[in-house]
Amino acid sequence: MTEEHSPLSLGFPSVMAELIRRCTYFFLYDGSKVKGEGDPTREGICYFYPEETPVDKQELLCGQLAGVGRCVSELSSSPVRFLRLRRSKYAIRMKDDFFWALGCSVEVPTTSVCELLDQLINLFCFYNGSVRQSYQLNSQETLAARWGQYLSHLQPGSSEFHRIFSCLRTIDSTNVDPLLLLKAALILQACQRCPLVLAGCILFRGRVVSTQMTPKLTMKVMVHESETYSKRRNGSGASGRSGAAVSSTTVFLTLSELQYLQSAPVDKDLSSHSTPRRDAPQKKTRLSRTLSEMASSESDSSDLGPSQSPQKVSFSPCLSESDYSVSSPAPSQSADPLNLPSLSPEPPFSNEQHSLETPDQSYYQSFYSSEGGDSQVHSKGDGSVFEENSLLNGCGKEFDLRGAESGLEESHDNEEVVGDRGVDGCGSAQGQKAEVQDPPPSSGASDDPEESPLIPMMLYLHRVKGLVLALLVDPPFLSDTASMEEVYHSSLASLNGLEAHLRTISPGALGAPGPYIFTHFDCIQSTLTTNLSGRPGGAPEHPFVRATSLLHSHFCNTKTLQEAIIRSAGAAVYGTRSVAQETYFQQHGGSLRNSGIPNHQDSAFSLPSKARHRLLKHGVNLL
Amino acid sequence: MKCLLIASESAEVLFHWTDPEFQQNIQRQYGESQEEGQGLPAFEDSMSTLFAPIIISCSTMVDRLSDNYTSFTTENNHIYVLHQFDECLYIAVNGDGEEGEDILRRKIYVMKKMVEVMFGMVTLSSQLLRRELRPQDTEQRGRLWKHLQSLLETYSHLRENDQSFLVEAVERLIHPTLCEQCIEFLERRLVQQLNSSAERAGEEVLHAFILVHTKLLAFYSSRNASTLATSDLLAIIIMAQNMYPSNEDLDDPSPEDVESTSGSGHESFYTPEPSPTDRDSSSSDKAERESLPMFEFMDPDVQMAEDSLQALEVPPPDPSTPRRVFLEISGKDGLYPMMPHSMYCLPLWPGITLVLLTKIPTNAVAMSVYKFLEAFAKLEKCLHEGPEGSAATRGQLAINDIRSKLDKFIKALGPSELQSAQLLNVWTEFKNRAYARGGPGFNKDLIPWCKNMKTQLCGIYRQCFLIDPGPGDIPQRLSQGLQERAQTMAQEKLMDWRDFLLVKSKRNITMVSYLEDFPGLIHFICVDRSTGQMIAPSLSITERTTSELGKGPVARFIKNKVWNLVSTTRRFLRKGYSTVTLRDGDFYFCYFLWFENETGYKLEAGDTPILPDDSAPIGMLAWDYYSRKLLRYYSKNHQGEVVRCYELLTVHLGVIPTEIILQHCRQLASKLWEPSRNPLL
Repeated sequence: MTEEHSPLSLGFPSVMAELIRRCTYFFLYDGSKVKGEGDPTREGICYFYPEETPVDKQELLCGQLAGVGRCVSELSSSPVRFLRLRRSKYAIRMKDDFFWALGCSVEVPTTSVCELLDQLINLFCFYNGSVRQSYQLNSQETLAARWGQYLSHLQPGSSEFHRIFSCLRTIDSTNVDPLLLLKAALILQACQRCPLVLAGCILFRGRVVSTQMTPKLTMKVMVHESETYSKRRNGSGASGRSGAAVSSTTVFLTLSELQYLQSAPVDKDLSSHSTPRRDAPQKKTRLSRTLSEMASSESDSSDLGPSQSPQKVSFSPCLSESDYSVSSPAPSQSADPLNLPSLSPEPPFSNEQHSLETPDQSYYQSFYSSEGGDSQVHSKGDGSVFEENSLLNGCGKEFDLRGAESGLEESHDNEEVVGDRGVDGCGSAQGQKAEVQDPPPSSGASDDPEESPLIPMMLYLHRVKGLVLALLVDPPFLSDTASMEEVYHSSLASLNGLEAHLRTISPGALGAPGPYIFTHFDCIQSTLTTNLSGRPGGAPEHPFVRATSLLHSHFCNTKTLQEAIIRSAGAAVYGTRSVAQETYFQQHGGSLRNSGIPNHQDSAFSLPSKARHRLLKHGVNLL
Repeated sequence: MKCLLIASESAEVLFHWTDPEFQQNIQRQYGESQEEGQGLPAFEDSMSTLFAPIIISCSTMVDRLSDNYTSFTTENNHIYVLHQFDECLYIAVNGDGEEGEDILRRKIYVMKKMVEVMFGMVTLSSQLLRRELRPQDTEQRGRLWKHLQSLLETYSHLRENDQSFLVEAVERLIHPTLCEQCIEFLERRLVQQLNSSAERAGEEVLHAFILVHTKLLAFYSSRNASTLATSDLLAIIIMAQNMYPSNEDLDDPSPEDVESTSGSGHESFYTPEPSPTDRDSSSSDKAERESLPMFEFMDPDVQMAEDSLQALEVPPPDPSTPRRVFLEISGKDGLYPMMPHSMYCLPLWPGITLVLLTKIPTNAVAMSVYKFLEAFAKLEKCLHEGPEGSAATRGQLAINDIRSKLDKFIKALGPSELQSAQLLNVWTEFKNRAYARGGPGFNKDLIPWCKNMKTQLCGIYRQCFLIDPGPGDIPQRLSQGLQERAQTMAQEKLMDWRDFLLVKSKRNITMVSYLEDFPGLIHFICVDRSTGQMIAPSLSITERTTSELGKGPVARFIKNKVWNLVSTTRRFLRKGYSTVTLRDGDFYFCYFLWFENETGYKLEAGDTPILPDDSAPIGMLAWDYYSRKLLRYYSKNHQGEVVRCYELLTVHLGVIPTEIILQHCRQLASKLWEPSRNPLL
């Protein structure tokens, strides 16, 4: 990766960042609220961005687009997906009575706008569950704030290519000792030995170091991470827990996401075996090994696989109802501080030392100053300090184990809202459980969170300064103090070590601008390599960016197309793609003077061989 | 699932065309919302009810956001394309995946072009056009709509099957000797005789040409005629095809034929096809074919289009009645769009047609009306820009220029007729307001009067050129005898060539002749955009004979590739890319656009304009992108120089090395248009 390194780069899908700058409007309109003739349109507007838009205009846009959308979808017996105006374009989603519209300027590729809207909605569902239920359980203002927050993640600042390709920001792997990446992968594997841990990822300063999840799921997890970060930076509501190392939040997975997580290759061989889930002694011995041990002896780690997998397999989404009702830390339970027997054992570690810290001493500040010696100390000490991110999580509740003292520092507004919906949240969670028991047969393939039932899971985050270990865990994990401690302790030392190493790596200097520009998108891992971003040339009107955008759309529409060369008066650009990648290449200089008439000596036609040759040193193999 | 709708701002349906699937869909939808027991309302009413919310929303968006919808896409890939021309909203719908957004937009523009060719400057007044497109009389409306519907279907059929309508350029029959003879015949004998005859009733033949199916055999323009624009020529070919459709599908083999010939090599490349003898036999052929089970390579959609054509067939009009067409004239003092002409379409044999375009005696009225309209439009624009300053003055000058001319014009019309009396009234009122001392003068208040004047002028134009003379009047046309003589002369001239021409039109040039020099070349299309002409090997997939591309699925596969390639390259050209190569599956496609000066010297490639997605389609039929946009843009740096524009598309096998492919393209580009401008063969 030779991407730009912004010191404040945030770990969210940066495709959105660029898009949102061009996003003109985003709104969610609930048609069920405006049924009668006399009902004012504004009743149906659940959220409108930009919020300062005059209500008249909001009503006009919502009313017209939703009305025309309904008319067209009736004529065609299918929801409208896309709507174009002369000066803007809108991705549309219609579901039940909800109508979402995301408007962008016309030069953004159509596929990208649609993808962004899907990401936004999926993100909402990931942290809040189904939209209809969320609106039944929460006030419109609360959810409006959430839409606003998801949108506000999408800030400007990344390269132009991020609006074309939906990609993950990863650490510059060419600049990092491969052993560190291996170490990160091993940390994740070690955590997975706890059967309640589904999968995880490790992030460093908003970039992915290692992940076991699909790129899309990783992107969603990263949003939470950056949200927590920005909240800390603003110091809002976080004064009392700036040092919290471990937090968790409820998230909702689609059935297909869950199935994917559970179909990890390691499970498959043994999926027929069904061993008791809580094989405590065995688990204990495994988990108590620290990662540094593992890394030092490869032979040890190699025999871990078979022994851990049976435990994991047994924990499936088809878990019986009783399993859930006994051990699930359903949001309702956590909502009531008096009703937390399973969640509030005696804090295993004292957090006194932490609460004495100045509120401003946030993690990120400490790690960015690279002098986090003391915070490393306190994160060791406060290992079991939990915090719940109520801003991101609809059904979750602060379950700060530090006790009432820090609870008093919380915003009381938040507390109330959380408390109110807590009881209902329980009902909804159980309703969803019932659905899990009997999933519709086709829903497995669907990635649409509104189509398939959403299964509540927990997202567990463990921070070590700039480094974050994020794990998707089954809800019982949080009530299982033993497992939690095991995971915490088994990874802590390795995380500290990893953080220390990663911190010392200086961001790779941008190579001198070569006589060519390229961008390479790995479709499998959703990663982007380019030597253009960060330079002034990355503007949308740059010929290379324009050509890339056009070719990418064309590749999307024509499945059989393998390569293309297109030339305007200013630039000739070569694009090639396979199932795994898309690569675009432009050579600088050379004689652009040509008549446009076919000529085999024309330099434009030597682009394919030049690209193959030049890009090898960037690790891009086009052969 | 196809539909095209023209609606007024008040959601009144001005025209609609639907295929049977769409019609069923509408009726089903409407049936659902109807109460039990109530009969289905008229189809037109259902259409208007179902589309009304879209149409009304469009005007709301224009009024309040000054933006408008250009397209909708649904999850099941139904596409709606919308475009507003003045006060008429065009909506084109496709729900079967056969037409993309660009094709639908093209259809809308072509529809508008056909309306312009049929109604001329009446289209400049929305108020009058509305009445013209939707006559009060139901029967008359039915006839008009059927005619427009069948024009639209003819166009769609040609766009889907004819390469010249794919790239929107005219294809000539390649036979230099015969071509030369025919031009001489048209010039020395036909046109001369017609124009010197006393029976021509004041009309003057400007252009005469012979069509073999859609291909041009010979074209002659008289000395004092201006060039016929490619756009107009293509529109006239559509009209001629619509009048005398060439039933290509009649040449389809029946299933028995296929069985009996499939193993025999079937070397009948150059045998003339039997010409269909008359209508009766053709319809019985059709009936027979319909009763047979479908077989795999008969395109069901083509068949469907044919059938609906049949159903909508209008009773043939009196063949000696010319059609009024409105065509562009480039006079000494500039362009005059939509000038009235008469079109005589004389069938020589099925598939071969002689077309005459004549200037009508009252032509000068149209030119005056256009000048007046232009002046009022200019004034209106200036008044909109601002009350003070140079703008208003310029507008005023435009009116001062025409003031006395318009006075004379109205006087010449004679006040007896209602229309001219109205014009006089409005003009008097206009002058009172604009010129009277102490009157309001030239300010924004005059805008409604400008509009009113324009409407009145369009009314005069309509009266002069669109209304059939009453039965008592002598029909104003070349006499029937004269037309028959022309027909006979042409038949005599071409008698011996008839069968040859019909075959030649199907196999104008064939890939066989290129295989030796260009191994691996599968197909190409070369277009000279300056003259609006193209050549390409025949690519017919509905023929009895095996083509070089093989039969059935393979040939159709390649045909689809070619059609897709053209639409892809247009998309890139729209964004400024004039060279495109694509490796797609087993094929390698190339597209080149370049400029030459008159002597054939290759000019340096320049910038091509970048157009928005909803701009007029790239082509020459509905709107001449190449001369109106591209050449104008390019010529900025080549002033005073004649610039010619060429395009070449090739399809090669993917295994051929790129270097060889490019050499082929180079050779084709330089060989096909020799200085003689006759393709080498």
